[in-house]
Amino acid sequence: MQNEVLFAILALISIVSSIVMISAHRPIDSALSFIVTLISIAALFALVNATFLFVVQIIIYAGAILSLILFIIMFLNIKDENLPDEKYKNRWLLGTSIIITPFSLILIDLILRSDIAVHALRDEKFGTIKDVGATLFSQWILPFELVSILLLVALIGAVTLSKKEA
Amino acid sequence: MSTFLILLPLILTLLFSLATVPILVWMERRVAALIQDRLGPNRCNVNGIRLGGIVQSVADMMKLVFKEEFLPSHIKNKFYYLAAPSIAFMSSFLTFMVIPYADNVTINEQTFTMQALPTDLGVLWFLAFAGLGVYGIILGGWASHNKYAILGSMRATAQVISYEVAMGLSLVSMLITYGTISLNEMVTYQSQSFFIFPAWGIILQPLAAIIFIVTAFAETNRAPFDAAEGESEIVAGYHTEYGAMKFGLFFVAEYIAMAASGALIVTLFLGGYQLPYLSTQDLINHFELVLWLIITFAAVTSLLFLAWVKKHNILVMNGLNETKIYTTVIVGFTLFAIIVMSYYALGFGNASTVGVMLLQFAVFTVKLFFLHFLFIWVRWTLPRFRYDQTQKLGWNILLPLSLVNIFITAIVVVGVNYGN
Repeated sequence: MQNEVLFAILALISIVSSIVMISAHRPIDSALSFIVTLISIAALFALVNATFLFVVQIIIYAGAILSLILFIIMFLNIKDENLPDEKYKNRWLLGTSIIITPFSLILIDLILRSDIAVHALRDEKFGTIKDVGATLFSQWILPFELVSILLLVALIGAVTLSKKEA
Repeated sequence: MSTFLILLPLILTLLFSLATVPILVWMERRVAALIQDRLGPNRCNVNGIRLGGIVQSVADMMKLVFKEEFLPSHIKNKFYYLAAPSIAFMSSFLTFMVIPYADNVTINEQTFTMQALPTDLGVLWFLAFAGLGVYGIILGGWASHNKYAILGSMRATAQVISYEVAMGLSLVSMLITYGTISLNEMVTYQSQSFFIFPAWGIILQPLAAIIFIVTAFAETNRAPFDAAEGESEIVAGYHTEYGAMKFGLFFVAEYIAMAASGALIVTLFLGGYQLPYLSTQDLINHFELVLWLIITFAAVTSLLFLAWVKKHNILVMNGLNETKIYTTVIVGFTLFAIIVMSYYALGFGNASTVGVMLLQFAVFTVKLFFLHFLFIWVRWTLPRFRYDQTQKLGWNILLPLSLVNIFITAIVVVGVNYGN
């Protein structure tokens, strides 16, 4: 019971803040409500005992990536008159949400039939540091290493591109 | 009893974070005065009682709390402006939650963890909430609509983000050494001995210890890395536009962040709550001997302290006679403590578990205050780094060093385990 109430509150917060994120006028509002979304999703991970996912979500997304984004927004120093004029924004949002409703219904139906929804999460170890580590380094070792090479390539690419300018 | 033992670490967290702030402010001023060869605040008194000047910082705190709340009229985003100090305060307070103050206590087959949150996340939790603290600074600078504030918060953010990398990497080598992320297990590991030394982190991993301590200074925006509030260049940095308790929250947050990093350094590198060479089980087994040693220690130190007070407390104030009151209080307290301890030491009662727990709290507190002293010592000894020097130190020196350290640690750990 307690968990359901907490889940409802957290889910509501994450949905509302993600709606605010896409509909906000100023970029800083979007970025900050995105932080709220990420933290409430981290709390949802904590609710199913996935402690490692919880803490990594906060360290990497809320702590590192979003603070870089905010940093850049601060650097740009956007004035209110420089923002695009979004006169028909509400109409656009309404129209697109009507169009995507059937697709989202299909998506919800698929999620409800998925393995996790039918047989609720029973594994106590799900998302703990040992479980995640063992899964990554035994079952998914090749994709894991490939992804890390990809990230390295992106990193070096960014460095060389920024060097070229100077 | 069990409720009390569950609440005890929470109470201790409040004591170590919030309640030590006035003491830290006092220490900062008195140590600064010591280093600059002057006296520091020691005149403020309540009817003649000065407590060495602590009354001064209590008075300062009262002033901050009761000052008029003032909102500058040019602030457009009131919500962000007001949220910033609370975010800074909350995140630095939350980092304290995973520090173990004593070993797990088992009473009547029930085990209580002596950390405020009974979680094994340990250092990861610390990293997570230390990282969130940046938002307080970013928002505070941004919502102030002030060039100095923006400059200060940009400096602080860039510094925290770049030093977080070196901090995380130096932690990785500690994780490889200890083989766990739970802080309590790390402290238990450090009760072993390494050749003739205690196996403290600073002896096993001196390089990681230095890197971590330097990055901890930078993460908390303490001198020599306090270019973010360099008063000669940018007034007061990100809290230029803040006053009264809103400033007070930033101020307290900085001290709590310092206390939390000090506590983490103690836990990771200085053996946490352990006495060197003695594990919790040893202490419990030889509890009576330990008590006799403590009794001797208490008697000797309080006598020395009394002699010191008599010699140095020469200022004559109006009101009560300070030296006399201190003497009475110290003698009375020491006698009471000695009587209570000899009751248990002579074997009339058995309180070894609780006694060892209290001893470990005391050891932790002493180590923590040594770290506070170190933070203050460094602040008043080293000049402030220029901003580009700070960045260069972080990226060009600390980052490669911590990477090399991880590499060496991994080789050594694999080699040692391969031999077994």
